[in-house]
Amino acid sequence: MKKETAATDHALALTLKIGAYSAFACIVAGLLLHYFAGFSNKVTSAGMIILLATPVVRIIVAGIEFLRERDRKYALVSLGVLAIVALAYWLGV
Amino acid sequence: MTASAFLLLVVIGLLVGGFGALSGIGGGVVLVPLVALYYDVPMHQAIGVSLICVIATSTATSALFVEQHVTDIRLGMTLELATTAGALIAALMARHLDRRTLALMFAIFLAYSSLSLVRKAWGSRKEEKEEPVSDYAVHNYPMGLMASLIAGGFSGLLGIGGGPIKVPVMYLFMKVPLRVATATSNFMIGVTAATSAVVYWGRGDVNMAIAAPLVAGVFAGSLLAARAKHRVPAFYILLLLVGITGWFSAQMFYKVITGGFQ
Repeated sequence: MKKETAATDHALALTLKIGAYSAFACIVAGLLLHYFAGFSNKVTSAGMIILLATPVVRIIVAGIEFLRERDRKYALVSLGVLAIVALAYWLGV
Repeated sequence: MTASAFLLLVVIGLLVGGFGALSGIGGGVVLVPLVALYYDVPMHQAIGVSLICVIATSTATSALFVEQHVTDIRLGMTLELATTAGALIAALMARHLDRRTLALMFAIFLAYSSLSLVRKAWGSRKEEKEEPVSDYAVHNYPMGLMASLIAGGFSGLLGIGGGPIKVPVMYLFMKVPLRVATATSNFMIGVTAATSAVVYWGRGDVNMAIAAPLVAGVFAGSLLAARAKHRVPAFYILLLLVGITGWFSAQMFYKVITGGFQ
């Protein structure tokens, strides 16, 4: 495996990990505050938004990594996926 | 919601996330009927909740596969062009389908899943070894893109991941090794489910009271199980899933026939 490709995998794994753990932490913290300390809060919603945003951030990171690898074809593919997801956000929210 | 109902959702999430990660089943196939049948919410909300949990499973488990260089990022991103398009179209379509039609479609899908899980369980008796991935060339992109479009469509319409459609096509027609196909499908599911989840979210079909405790459990379960993988035999988990999906399918058919899901 080429060194650049390994670096891309590493960047993507890190993005997914940060997204997963921070979403999990926010959702749990928000739920604990709500059910056991008794005040409603927006921390859980923030966790949900992190969860929904992580895949989008992952596409952007992949695109940047492909550019760094000078792989223009796959940078364009990433841009294409991002465009479809952006369309979903625009139509959905 | 009472504290016990809340804790029950966390435990259900833990089990589904854990068993899902151990057996390679996304969890949507169990979560949608469970929420629709026992939490008495409209089908659209059950699907919205399931999509959120599917994103959590994919995000939590795919980090590990990517780190081990098993995931084919380029193949995944290419096929995501089709899965996200399919997911978006289907999520927009789902708005116009009534609840009973969706429930009937899901009941049929569950019956099919139950049968295909029997075959998967049978095949898992002889455990495949963790051999290093050999070099391969990806074949037949048009076929892969078509299957991905359909898988994305099912995901957006029924709240599932769509692995059972993509993995066989990648393995049989695109000549991708099975481990790579599984990891790549799992990688794609997060983006695919997020695309349609946003549409459900925008319509108010992500019921936070149910989704939040469930997703907390799913996260914990899949994070733990992804590390324990290959220490628990998948055969028994798959056998359990055959029973659960079969039972849910029968119940959903019964409820549709007797005029439920209004």
